Amino acid sequence: MKRKHIEFLDVLSLRGPSMWTYPPVLEAWVDIGELEDFPSNLIPGFYERLEAWLPTLIEHRCSYDERGGFLRRVREGTWPGHILEHVTLELQNLAGLPGGFGKARETSTRGVYRVIVSAYQEEVTRAALHTARDLVMAAIEDQPYDVPAAIEALRDLVNEYWLGPSTASIVQAAEDRRIPYIRLNQGNLVQFGYGAAQHRIWTAETDRTSAVAEGIACDKDLTKSLLQACGVPVPQGRAVDSKDDAWEAAQEIGLPVVVKPSDGNHGRGVFLDLRTREAIETAFGVASGEGSGVIVERCVPGNEHRLLVVGDRMVAAARGKTASVIGDGRATIQQLIASQLNSDPRRGNTEEHPLNLVALDSAARIELARQGYHGDTVPPAGEEVLIQRNGNVAFDVTDEVHPSVAAHVRLAARIVGLDIAGVDLVAEDISRPLEEQGGAIVEVNAGPGLLMHLKPADGQPRPVGRAIVDHLFPNGGEGRIPLVGVSGSHGMTGVAHLIGQFLRLAGRRVAVASSQGLFFDHRQVDRAPADWSAAQRALMNPMMEAAVIENGARAILTQGLAYDRCQVGVVTGLDPAQTHPDLSIVEPQQIYNVLRTQVDVVLPGGCAVLNAADDLVADMARLCDGDVVLFARDGELPRIAEHLAAGKRAVFVRADAIVLAHGANDIRLAPLACVPCLTEQPGLPIESVLAAVAAGWALDLPQDCIRAGIETHGTPAPVAATA
Amino acid sequence: MEVSRIRALRGPNLWSRRTALEAIVSCTEAERAIAGISGFEARLRARFPAIGLLQPAGQERSVSMARALGLATLGLQSQAGCPVTFVRTVPTLDAGIYQVVVEYTEEEVGRLALKFALELCQAAEHDTPFDLDAALTQLRDLDEDIRIGPSTGSIVQAAVQRGIPYRRLTQGSLIQFGWGKKQRRIQAAEMDRSSAIAESIAQDKELTKTLLHATGVPVPEGRPVEDAEDAWAAAQEIGAPVVVKPRDGNQGKGVAVNISTREQILAAYAVADKYGSAVLVERYIPGHDFRLLVVGDTLVAASRRDPPQVSGDAVHTIRQLVDEVNKDPRRGEGHATSLTKIRLDDIAIATLAKAGYTPESVPPNGALVILRNNANLSTGGTATDVTDEVHPEFAAHAIAAARTVGLDICGVDVVAGTVIKPLESQGGAIVEVNAAPGLRMHLTPSYGKPRAVGEAVIADMFAPEDDGRIPVVAVAGTNGKTTTVRLIAHLQGVNGQLVGMTNSDGVYIGQQRIDVGDCSGPRSARNVLLHPDVDAAVFETARGGILREGLGFDRCDVAVVTNIGMGDHLGLNFISTVEDLAVVKRVIVENVAPTGTAVLNATDPNVANMADSCPGSVIFFSSDRHHTLITTQRAKNQRVVYRDGQAIVAARGAEEHRIPLADIPLTYDGAIDFQVENAMAAIAAAWALGLDWQVIRRGLASFVNDAQTAPGRFNRFEFRGATIFADYGHNPDAIQALVRAIERMPAKRRSVVISGAGDRRDVDIRRQTEILGTAFDQVVLYEDQCQRGREDGEVLTLLREGLAGATRAQDVREIRGEFLAIDTAMDELAAGDLCLILVDQVEEALAHIEQRIAADCAISAAMRQPTGQSVAH
Repeated sequence: MKRKHIEFLDVLSLRGPSMWTYPPVLEAWVDIGELEDFPSNLIPGFYERLEAWLPTLIEHRCSYDERGGFLRRVREGTWPGHILEHVTLELQNLAGLPGGFGKARETSTRGVYRVIVSAYQEEVTRAALHTARDLVMAAIEDQPYDVPAAIEALRDLVNEYWLGPSTASIVQAAEDRRIPYIRLNQGNLVQFGYGAAQHRIWTAETDRTSAVAEGIACDKDLTKSLLQACGVPVPQGRAVDSKDDAWEAAQEIGLPVVVKPSDGNHGRGVFLDLRTREAIETAFGVASGEGSGVIVERCVPGNEHRLLVVGDRMVAAARGKTASVIGDGRATIQQLIASQLNSDPRRGNTEEHPLNLVALDSAARIELARQGYHGDTVPPAGEEVLIQRNGNVAFDVTDEVHPSVAAHVRLAARIVGLDIAGVDLVAEDISRPLEEQGGAIVEVNAGPGLLMHLKPADGQPRPVGRAIVDHLFPNGGEGRIPLVGVSGSHGMTGVAHLIGQFLRLAGRRVAVASSQGLFFDHRQVDRAPADWSAAQRALMNPMMEAAVIENGARAILTQGLAYDRCQVGVVTGLDPAQTHPDLSIVEPQQIYNVLRTQVDVVLPGGCAVLNAADDLVADMARLCDGDVVLFARDGELPRIAEHLAAGKRAVFVRADAIVLAHGANDIRLAPLACVPCLTEQPGLPIESVLAAVAAGWALDLPQDCIRAGIETHGTPAPVAATA
Repeated sequence: MEVSRIRALRGPNLWSRRTALEAIVSCTEAERAIAGISGFEARLRARFPAIGLLQPAGQERSVSMARALGLATLGLQSQAGCPVTFVRTVPTLDAGIYQVVVEYTEEEVGRLALKFALELCQAAEHDTPFDLDAALTQLRDLDEDIRIGPSTGSIVQAAVQRGIPYRRLTQGSLIQFGWGKKQRRIQAAEMDRSSAIAESIAQDKELTKTLLHATGVPVPEGRPVEDAEDAWAAAQEIGAPVVVKPRDGNQGKGVAVNISTREQILAAYAVADKYGSAVLVERYIPGHDFRLLVVGDTLVAASRRDPPQVSGDAVHTIRQLVDEVNKDPRRGEGHATSLTKIRLDDIAIATLAKAGYTPESVPPNGALVILRNNANLSTGGTATDVTDEVHPEFAAHAIAAARTVGLDICGVDVVAGTVIKPLESQGGAIVEVNAAPGLRMHLTPSYGKPRAVGEAVIADMFAPEDDGRIPVVAVAGTNGKTTTVRLIAHLQGVNGQLVGMTNSDGVYIGQQRIDVGDCSGPRSARNVLLHPDVDAAVFETARGGILREGLGFDRCDVAVVTNIGMGDHLGLNFISTVEDLAVVKRVIVENVAPTGTAVLNATDPNVANMADSCPGSVIFFSSDRHHTLITTQRAKNQRVVYRDGQAIVAARGAEEHRIPLADIPLTYDGAIDFQVENAMAAIAAAWALGLDWQVIRRGLASFVNDAQTAPGRFNRFEFRGATIFADYGHNPDAIQALVRAIERMPAKRRSVVISGAGDRRDVDIRRQTEILGTAFDQVVLYEDQCQRGREDGEVLTLLREGLAGATRAQDVREIRGEFLAIDTAMDELAAGDLCLILVDQVEEALAHIEQRIAADCAISAAMRQPTGQSVAH
């Protein structure tokens, strides 16, 4: 006898488009046992507890399509599977992972449900599912549950596994442009596009960011001399090797000066506005501890700015603000920092906060010392005390940048050789030319942070992720290679390999992932039947110019597709006998729902290749965003005639020859007698040849290649060679 | 003997095309002929036997100690391994003062060699000791320290062979090849298009393996491990033997191979853990270590790398065998040689222990004893070239690995039995890919054929016909340089090119001035060639820079010499005659590319004579269409540009392009001869550059020469109905040309404002007013802002002296201050008058003139306005 319990029978990871949706999901098979008899309205206090623990569930519009819809269902009575779905999604959401898709479906077994939830990061969603189960059980059993701790644990997982915010913004921009992406590691290394059309990013570096340029950017002295040679305003100055030398340089340049490490980063060990020998020598001491050398420079008047260059465009600019407090005659500077600065909700120590908490670090102490203060000083009422000369550069000023300043900044990036550069610039007024105000570019940074532009403390967020994506994929390119997905109940492998043959003949390097293994060109690199991972390998291979991927119904049900969209989706046929009772797929309509996934993902400019002799398959034509090419042995089928009459394309056999028909026009491609794979043992059924020919045609391959392909396919077999 | 000044000539110069030090050396009476110093030469030779012949064969004239100094400087560098051959010692007009010019390959080494050479000569003179070995060691060490390393050097060498210019951007191995927009960079064996991401991927071995596996490249199975126990667990999963290594290691540090037992694996983990952030355990793949070098999409070289080893002879101990092997003269201490000495250190002893040996063991005859389990050259390993044997499929995997990671120069480490069979057939695998790989093992393999790696890198960066150069025009001459430079740059600009231009006003990139002041030296030229956007360059090349540092470029496409004046800068820097000056200005002609062109003024014999020094072709120009050189050149079917009445004609054989002077506003319809000459020079240069004639015509027509675009270049102003010309003419020739131009213009009364630059010869300063005195009614003299070393009033006196015999000037004023002088002249102008103002502080003076005119206009406008007009009726 089952207890009141929620048990996970299995959790499937559908890492691509599935019968549920396009993005990745987890599909949990959940047994709720006796709870089947206890919908939520029958559990006293359940609704109240759930609402108290997760008040944000109010936003779930489910069932009634209105705010509070889901909670209304809980009050009126719904079952744990459904509740589990919503709680999982809400927990993920609270932990900072995107994705709001969920579904709960009964199976043929009583009390067993399939709960489907968005899973952009599998590890997090798995954990969220389990947390949700525990939370719901605690609510059912009226046990205490530490919700904040559970969310915090999930948030830690998000930080560990999910993309950083800068990378996430780029990935989001790519998604907006329908550019597919693949994460290549647990960090922020991401592939955009497929195969030979791919580009990679690693946070704010791209595969076009030159390593040599990065080396130059790290050498501030070299950077400065290159910029200066090309007429970009920089603060004059030089490297120094001792305290005495620092003072000597300061005198040559003229006070006040800046002292900083030559290869430091993030403003560590940088000292501004130094006017005395003592201050300069002290600064030298600290700066020399940060990097390999120390530079003394003219102190450039004004605010720090960060301008972001992507490609050859200046896409964002932010300004820094000094941080200061006003004395009240009672509080110490420490206390004033807490009450006047750190109380600002924008300040905090996470990436969510555009401004950092102000701390009395060494720089701040030096700044105070210069004013004759320390942290415990109580400044007189009304007196302004400068705490931080370089606050966060987080105030958007993109629209104010003078064109000549932008031109200098872009040139600076080109001189260093960076495609993406964060240029640090000091100027009083960014809306005026630098030359007028003695402003200067002080640093060029590779791999710049994007947060200050994505989430400025003040002003308009800038679409810098979009700029990076546009830079990598100009002119609307989506980074796609010709990609054919082959699905159906039978004959997929032969079709896939024949299409691969056409593509090879057309001069493309082609990857084929089929039940025979994974093939790169002629080479079999894996003998095991290709699964989702093998298919993904095909799309990761930067040498592949085309890919053909076989997807059986079972693969779609248990793994999802390995690609987001494809140019051509082939469905060979639908056999009602081929059921998957263990996955609750028993009815022809359910098989249809699985196989249609292949047609759902056809790109608007692409084609579905469908078996006209199979009613259910032919019916999928209505689901396709692109064109449809029908195939059938019998060209006289009414469905084909109708299709042709509508000006569309079909492939069939007429008078012992394969015919490509387009509206009223026919092309006789090749007589059947010239297609050896039809008669060889083991050979291909004619339908497979027709499906492949239709796919080749849909790919706009030259008909010569298709003809040559069917005339040569089958002999010799691909050379087997495994790693 | 004393060295009073040392200059580094960093580009083609007066003496040669090579980099050289130029020292000014003063010798005492006795030192001027060393034959007279008893025993000097013998003592010198005793201290430095390798010094060259002091007395040139068959010459009787006496040899100075300065010459000995030059030869010693050369010899010391040469003995220290620098490939230098050029040395010259030239007496100056001042007795006992010599110019000693010695080639260098590294400036610092040259300077140090000169210092040692001086010490050497002094030691020989005073019969004191000189430590030659110490000096040579110091020179050698310095040279090794600062010269380009062998890997980078091979790439630089390949570029030089292809005629691609290069420049070191740092003391290190960052090199720029080519110029302007066509430049590329390398940092050691890494091209500028290698991405930082690819480098990071290559650093992460586990990630690399994942990506290689995805692309079907054979890799050793394995995984990162958490701790020593996990390492053992991983070894059991994989099936021993295994390799244990740090995830981010390099140079084989902390790597243990072919280990199977639990103890071995635990110990190896402990070692590897010290070197990197994580430790990997992988299947051990038996076989040799191979390094395949992929450049672009090509396998360029392959080496088999063997660990340091000795073979037993049943007689000697391992220690003795190692010593024997280390006697091989090819085995050095560092990275410079093709082999490195085998070290018998702790790692070696531990390796020996594994095989049951100690350094004192005597291995049996023929036994191979391995002293280290990695095959790096730097630890005594050897590299054997196997490039020609690599199986195409084997190579394809290496190329695929480089592509997958994204490296365009990639060292691929492969473990396999042999390279002659595909990897799969022998269970081999790619174990690592390296960014910025060392090239030494391919350039100077221990055994086998060296490979042209540098050439491959250059070929990947530059297409076969591309030498990375942008068109460079150099312009020299006494007068007209700046206008000619600006006009040539303008014509190229009209041609759609972004032109980098240097002249005595500044540095310009297109319309933008990026540097102000006299920028006619090599540093400004180099800056332009560094600019990433520049398509073409035009350099005013002044005498000063050539003398000081040589040219800022190794060669130019077009060299223009406008004229050699009489009195500009003579007497400075040992240049005492016009002929000497011509030799300096000729340097740009000597360094015209063989496919390039010299544009020479046929009318000036000193300029026309430079034709013989030009490695390329010549275009003569002249205002005299019947000049012998013009007619001869035409007869030879060569290009000429000349003035034919009211037109400029460019002709070669039957080809003729005629441009009316009326279409060249710069020339004031041909009234200003010197501008006609400038236009001819620019037209010839544009022709030499292959510009379209439509472009040239358009450019000539649109060229503006006002105070904004060409300050101080015959700028015209209107003032109270009078005409003012402002010019920066500051030598007799320029003034003569200005006078000729102005004489053609009708005027009631003529006045001129002039000062003289203090650094000219007295005679040249006087000459200026002599000319002016014949052409102007009024002369306003003022004292120059910068007296350049002269006493107050001295220049004024000279100027006044020049006016002594003036035929026309009646009214002479002396004024302190440029603005006041200008005001004085302007105040007295009336309608129909003409005034020439020879400005000194160009921009300030022009601004002052403009301001005066504007103020005057405002006043007269106010006076014209009747009172009450603004009241509305």
